[in-house]
Amino acid sequence: MPEAGVRDEDLVRRFLSGDRAAFATLVERHERRVYNLALRMTGREEDARDATQEAFLTVLRKLSSFRGEAAFTTWLHRVAVNACYDLLRKRQRQPLLDRGGDEDRAAAEPPPVPDHADASDLSIDVQRALLEVPQDFRVVMILHDVRDLPQEEVARILGVPVGTVKSRLHRGRIALARALGVPRSGERADPAPPSEGTMTP
Amino acid sequence: MTHPEELLADYVDGTLNDEQRAVVDAHLPGCAPCREELQLARSAVAALASLEDEPVPFGVTGPVLAEAGRRFERRRVIVWERLQWAAGLAAAALVLVVALNVGGGSDRDGAASLESTTAADAAPEGAAPEGGAAETAFAFAFRGLEMQNDVNYVADGISSLASDAAEVISGRATGEAGDDQRYAPADEALACIERSGAPTVDDPRDTLMRLIETQYEGTPAYIAVYAESPGAGQPADTVVVWAVTKAGCRILTTASLRV
Repeated sequence: MPEAGVRDEDLVRRFLSGDRAAFATLVERHERRVYNLALRMTGREEDARDATQEAFLTVLRKLSSFRGEAAFTTWLHRVAVNACYDLLRKRQRQPLLDRGGDEDRAAAEPPPVPDHADASDLSIDVQRALLEVPQDFRVVMILHDVRDLPQEEVARILGVPVGTVKSRLHRGRIALARALGVPRSGERADPAPPSEGTMTP
Repeated sequence: MTHPEELLADYVDGTLNDEQRAVVDAHLPGCAPCREELQLARSAVAALASLEDEPVPFGVTGPVLAEAGRRFERRRVIVWERLQWAAGLAAAALVLVVALNVGGGSDRDGAASLESTTAADAAPEGAAPEGGAAETAFAFAFRGLEMQNDVNYVADGISSLASDAAEVISGRATGEAGDDQRYAPADEALACIERSGAPTVDDPRDTLMRLIETQYEGTPAYIAVYAESPGAGQPADTVVVWAVTKAGCRILTTASLRV
């Protein structure tokens, strides 16, 4: 593909100077990451489709104001995360993956593959548990643990300090494990939870 | 006891430097809560690794690309209309110059005559086209909502609808329906297309050609076929097809085809 080596920022410039195909290339290049971010954030295929469309429409509307201070992917992720938050706020309902709703579950998840039934079941369980984790923690885990973005990049996307990302990541992981029902270790837990996360010298 | 919480995420990731790792290692033997949290966090990371990318369903970004195309067309039309407006303004200014010259009994009649000719030539270009609706060069009368509830369209079917409409626009087909075609009032379907956000409904450059009540990939849907002109007064040069859900009026897919 001739556009494969072209930087996103150059495609943006070409689009703004009238190259319509450059926008299609940007969409094609990034739709998978935006859609999967939205799918993990919302837990429903239908919502992920809507959030993906909304994110790219926002990109289309605001691309002329993209000044290149941040990398395009950082900006795109920020737009996508905001689209997910907006959609979740609008829905104000329990994600259908969460309880019952076999029909919707079937729509949101691929059918189990017989040869890998265990892996598929685990994936569905993890997605369901993920929806029980507070959104601010969930998004950090999705960006870092699922999308493999460095913590510094996650901080730039969300506009928060890196220390906040570290804290939310750790809290989110614990919340997810508990939602998954991971058994506690054999030792008795100290009733006082770890506090502010600062080290005593 | 203060816990090194800010280091625990990186401890799980294995990205601490030696000094930081030594701090956590020294803390853990005496802190059961931190040990438990690390165990939970590691379980979570392993679980998240089971989430693989899903393929993007067909048609998700179709409406976005369609909108991008429409914005390009709109921008082109706006530039063209501004040029026309500027040409009209220039023509009006020339007419005014001529009137002033003639009224003032100028002895520059030759020059005035030349300018007057220029103004007369420019006027038709600068004049606004008559009528707000797109002037479509094809003969096709919208008859109402086509009832095709027993048909299940897929992407190829949408492409065929666009191709058929393009044939009608270009005059290679009449678009006449068969005798068995049933029509129903279209108000509800039109309102649904409008609610979907499909930006064609109120655009004077768009002419509704067909509206179909049917199914799209098994979902009850309305499909609207529009002929779109690049600007009011110019012949249609593009077919745009929208499919929206009957329930909820959500865009399912769109397709466009240059004639």
